[in-house]
Amino acid sequence: MPKWFTPATVVCGLMFAVAPVLIADAPYEATMGLVQKIFYIHLPSAWLFLLGAIVCGVASARYLFGGNPRHDRLAWAAAELVVVFGLITLITGPLWARRSWGTWWVWDARVTSSLVGWMIAWAYLILRKYGGPGSDKLAAGLALFGMANVPFIYVSVNYWRTIHPATTVVPTLPVSFGIPLWFSFAAFLLLFVLLLRMRVLLEEQRARLDTLYLSMDE
Amino acid sequence: MDFLKRACVVLTLLFALAAVPVFAQQPAQPEQTEEFIPLDQLPPQDQLPAAPLLIAAYAVLVLALFAYVVSVARRLAIVQREVQRLETDLKRGSRA
Repeated sequence: MPKWFTPATVVCGLMFAVAPVLIADAPYEATMGLVQKIFYIHLPSAWLFLLGAIVCGVASARYLFGGNPRHDRLAWAAAELVVVFGLITLITGPLWARRSWGTWWVWDARVTSSLVGWMIAWAYLILRKYGGPGSDKLAAGLALFGMANVPFIYVSVNYWRTIHPATTVVPTLPVSFGIPLWFSFAAFLLLFVLLLRMRVLLEEQRARLDTLYLSMDE
Repeated sequence: MDFLKRACVVLTLLFALAAVPVFAQQPAQPEQTEEFIPLDQLPPQDQLPAAPLLIAAYAVLVLALFAYVVSVARRLAIVQREVQRLETDLKRGSRA
């Protein structure tokens, strides 16, 4: 592990200990009340779900055109994080929606495209696990579609009829809502970086293992 | 082959027809939120029904992240053990 990993883990742990205090101190939202506090974990998870898809897509593009296995390892690690943060987003969203909108799920553009993005990440992982030789390039191509879906997920609420909050909500947030949100996001982002590094290390070790097996055969 | 094509067309039409009543029955949706407005005190009727959902959401977050960290740590430990074992075997082999 790199030198910064342990101090960063401690900082991340402290941030996750402080975040609930800030969230509890934040005011209640006028129409949604207590349940709006899901916002502080739902939105950072959703952003990291999108960030993961972008990292996976960019790394896959670099692997496709450059052939460097480091980029492939990064893409694989990011795809797993897309699945994890996508799962959190797709579960916390309906829990919030049940109280706010009176329904668990709506097939609107954002929710549906998010589900599609999450399934693309699953498809990537399944392809890597069971696809056999050459699946790395196929999966990299798939990751490009996952990345292309990201801007669509983000702007969909502005162009299609939906009850999902518009993208104007975050820039116009009062400070009392903004502080816990951005603090929470910083904690989630640090966690994302740590998990990504840990997952890349796993792929590095697997590559090392393959090299050792090859040298044993020789 | 023709039969297969016809079957595909018939099935597609059936699915499309089945979707019509689903879309027709969509309930009226609330208006899209444009901004969040702060509130000093939570109305008492709002407190209890929202709490289980809020707790469930935070529990999902903690459980999902914990499960993932444990999963990566376990996989990493297995691979690192295997790497160490092979390195030891290779060293022994080169000495012999």
